[in-house]
Amino acid sequence: MKKLTTAMALALLAGPTLAEDKIVIEFAYPYSHLFDVTYEKILPKFYEAHPNIEVKMRATYESYEDGTNTILRESVAGTLPDVTMQGLNRQAILVEKGIAKSLEPFIAEEADFAKDGYHRAMLDLGTFEGDVHGLPFSISLPVSYYNMETMAKAGYTTENLPTTWEEVIAACVALKEAGVDNPVFWGWNITGNWFLQALMWSQDKPTVMGTDFTLDEPEGLTALNTMHDIFRGCEMQNLEWKAALASFAAGDVGMMFWSTSAVGAVERSMGDFTLVTNEFPGLTDKGPMGLPAGGNSAMLVSTSEDPAELDAAWKWLKFITSGEGAADVARTTGYMPPNQAANEIILADFYAENPTKATAVRQLPLLREWQAYPGDNGLAATQVIYDALEGIVTGEFDDMEELQEELSEEVQDLLPTGS
Amino acid sequence: MSDMSARSSVLIDSLTLGFSTRETMKHAVLILGAIVVLLPFYVMVSYSLKAPAEIMQQTGGFLGSQEPFRDDFCVKLGNAVEDCMVNPIVYNYTTAFEKAPLVRYLLNGVIVTVSIFLIQVIVALPCAYALAKLKFWGREAVFGLVLFCLLIPVHAIALPLYIMLAKLGLTNSYAALIIPWTISVFGIFLMRQFFMTVPDDLIDAARMDGMSEYSIVWNVMLPTAIPALMAFGIFSVVAHWNDYFWPRIVITGNRDLFTPPLGLREFKGDADGDNFGPMMATACIIVTPLIVAFLLAQRRFIEGITLSGMK
Amino acid sequence: MPGSRAYLWFIGPAIVLMVLILLLPIGIAGALSFTDYSLGNTSANFVGTENYERIFTRTTYEKMFGATFRYVFVVVPLTVLLGLGAALLIHSLTRFGDLYKTIYFLPVMAALIAMAIVWEFAFHPTIGIINATLERGCGTWLEAWDWYAAGCARTFPLWLTDRDYAIWTVAFIGVWQGFGFNMVLYLAGLTSIPRTLYNAAEMDGAQTGWERFRLVTWPMLGPTTVFVVTISFIRSFQVFDTVEAFYPQGGGPSKSVYVMMFAIYEKAIQQNLMGIGAAITVVFLGFVMFLTILQRWLVERRTHYV
Repeated sequence: MKKLTTAMALALLAGPTLAEDKIVIEFAYPYSHLFDVTYEKILPKFYEAHPNIEVKMRATYESYEDGTNTILRESVAGTLPDVTMQGLNRQAILVEKGIAKSLEPFIAEEADFAKDGYHRAMLDLGTFEGDVHGLPFSISLPVSYYNMETMAKAGYTTENLPTTWEEVIAACVALKEAGVDNPVFWGWNITGNWFLQALMWSQDKPTVMGTDFTLDEPEGLTALNTMHDIFRGCEMQNLEWKAALASFAAGDVGMMFWSTSAVGAVERSMGDFTLVTNEFPGLTDKGPMGLPAGGNSAMLVSTSEDPAELDAAWKWLKFITSGEGAADVARTTGYMPPNQAANEIILADFYAENPTKATAVRQLPLLREWQAYPGDNGLAATQVIYDALEGIVTGEFDDMEELQEELSEEVQDLLPTGS
Repeated sequence: MSDMSARSSVLIDSLTLGFSTRETMKHAVLILGAIVVLLPFYVMVSYSLKAPAEIMQQTGGFLGSQEPFRDDFCVKLGNAVEDCMVNPIVYNYTTAFEKAPLVRYLLNGVIVTVSIFLIQVIVALPCAYALAKLKFWGREAVFGLVLFCLLIPVHAIALPLYIMLAKLGLTNSYAALIIPWTISVFGIFLMRQFFMTVPDDLIDAARMDGMSEYSIVWNVMLPTAIPALMAFGIFSVVAHWNDYFWPRIVITGNRDLFTPPLGLREFKGDADGDNFGPMMATACIIVTPLIVAFLLAQRRFIEGITLSGMK
Repeated sequence: MPGSRAYLWFIGPAIVLMVLILLLPIGIAGALSFTDYSLGNTSANFVGTENYERIFTRTTYEKMFGATFRYVFVVVPLTVLLGLGAALLIHSLTRFGDLYKTIYFLPVMAALIAMAIVWEFAFHPTIGIINATLERGCGTWLEAWDWYAAGCARTFPLWLTDRDYAIWTVAFIGVWQGFGFNMVLYLAGLTSIPRTLYNAAEMDGAQTGWERFRLVTWPMLGPTTVFVVTISFIRSFQVFDTVEAFYPQGGGPSKSVYVMMFAIYEKAIQQNLMGIGAAITVVFLGFVMFLTILQRWLVERRTHYV
């Protein structure tokens, strides 16, 4: 705070020229309840570093879907902000429609871009059509949550937590025998295909290759069967996510497989039990070979022609995705920054003190793209997958081979014909 | 009250059952219904008083334990944990007013709902009068049009409307919040039904006095229509005060233009956890003015619908 | 001044606004329903009636019609009957009528987005107030009821996420929210029935309360009923808020609550498929119009409604 006042004093001393040259950029992000605090923390630091830029916060998006739809509407109305935060799997749409700008020209100007902690895997998450279009800001990965008191009823300790899905199902059976009604919640309903992609990446298989939906391959059947076995073997209830989080917080559910981003919410609302997070189980005892990254990414959507304004927008983009800016993501939310420098240097102590948040960081080498389905029907394809997965939970579908065939056909039908 | 009891005595006087038994049974039924109706309100008020953990685990009864809990927002900003312990009631309600500038939103709500209502009346009243009392070619067609428009759902036309407003450069303004609602076909319909019951003599007398049609509408019809307008007013205000869908579509830039329900979204975190306490506090605050208004208006309101003579 | 042109000034603004704000967008939707337009694209292709063909062939849309009709045919009769019942009871009370009136009107006034969250918690399968209350009845005579015993043995229903219950639960909330509105309309209707009619009926030998209701109250409420039913129909066909609040994605378990308004919203706004969204809009309007005309034709022979 003191630093901020000094900066302001300096700015005042520097005289009217600076004030006149103040560049205003407009910025919009989702989930104010989660990220308000993050930006509140970042802003003073940014203003200190760039006193001549002012960041104007727009109305926040209610969700990632709302964020993308808002940008699409604004592009029609011609009222786009300069920088927007978009869900990682929503970036592709904005690139396809030519709304998001390539960041390559700006990156080319930077001298030590790699030294700032931007590594290949991170940039890959925002690379489309060969160019970097988005810089990932906050990342989440699937992790396991355990209620240790409940797990103890079936003899589990932090030493022998399940590491494969088979062991998870075995744990379910053991917990049921120990009198736990709802042993597990498996977050299939996070946007409808994130966990499907998790099972696909676990076998190192992308869900979409070009315009091909790869569910019709053997890995797809393994993924579907795994889900089916978990839901049936654990007799999992079809809970809506709010109800699931409440059940877990109340101590009703022993194991929850969900995004790491909810760690904060769970810790805040849970009852009197010991929460442990652990690595996401794999199909074999080697663990998953990859996991899809969730979270959001900063994109440049400015329609301004003014180089000064674009440069200011870039400065903001870079500030929040590297160094102290990126570090504040981990400090204030359940997410982590993908930035290597921030994680390894600035945040080393933080993770030591917050072991529940460190699980996802240990999984960082597994980071893979959260894939979008190409073409205008991309979102409709997601919905078809959601409906199918729900059918497995509710028991509507029992024959996975048949489902695999139907689902791959229906989704493939919605994707553009490969050229 | 007295006229009402007189009327009900007509229904009751010759009943074979004892007066009080029958009355008690009615109350029993009504109270049972009231419990079902009030259940969610009870929960809403209760949540607005409780700490997050108590809400999620559904413990703590109506009031919660009121033990201070840790405000994570404050901790994350770098304050010491001891300074961030807050009392649930105080936290929920102050957060509702501070984090979402609720006073500003309430003010916006008043500006928007009142403007909408006034314009709706200015447009609908003369039209309803013409449809009810003037004879002209195409009157039935116009009325048919009104009935057709009654069927059009706003969600279906939201995007075309948005694009039209965008082309006019009107998104993110009060105008965007008001313009789509300036025409209320429900209002025209309701007012027409009312004017049908006004005796023609009244209008003929006014015409004899040399009043223009214009002044008949505003000086003769308007005063007689006050009760019906009040009925329409409650429907219009309730709908637009609570509208969440449309403001969310058109207000994407400036938070200062938010209407009260949009204040609720400040506490949404979806799969990463909503902040239910302040959200419910906001909901309680939003509904209070409506309840007060309804209590004040209800006598004349019911009278208003009565006179509009759905017969 | 009969015969003057004043009416033009009276209906003019209303007609202009109706055309610009309501009919023009419907026209645009009608035109878009023959294209594959997606927001943010610079152009669109003409696809003929492909969008319509999809609506009438895909199973998803079959579910859409099913959910919509189930909802409408539960909610309309129940809101009308409960509204009438509440109005009759309250009207006959000597005291506290205003209190009940206000309570029953509360759901109409509350912001649905907040109430939906409350209902979600209330319907929570294990810790929600509803199932928690039901559980307390376990081990008592209530277990004689098979359904109840099954609930006690395993768990009580997942009201909102079980495909056998979801639509009925949402319909219940629709009734909860809507009947107060009808009650107020009926109360107004009751107030306007002249007292002398009851006296006359009594002279003619209508002694019981039921006879008086059948001979006087019900016929006199005819016009109100027509109005109430029309408005209830339109409102329940347009149900959207609850569905979106409970199931922001997908329209409920196995699409069992995939009502038409939600389908329009999902296609046109969530998924950016304006063409198909517009086509559903047109079909929707056609349906509602057909039903309204049918209903008016049925009742108009009996009452002078307009």
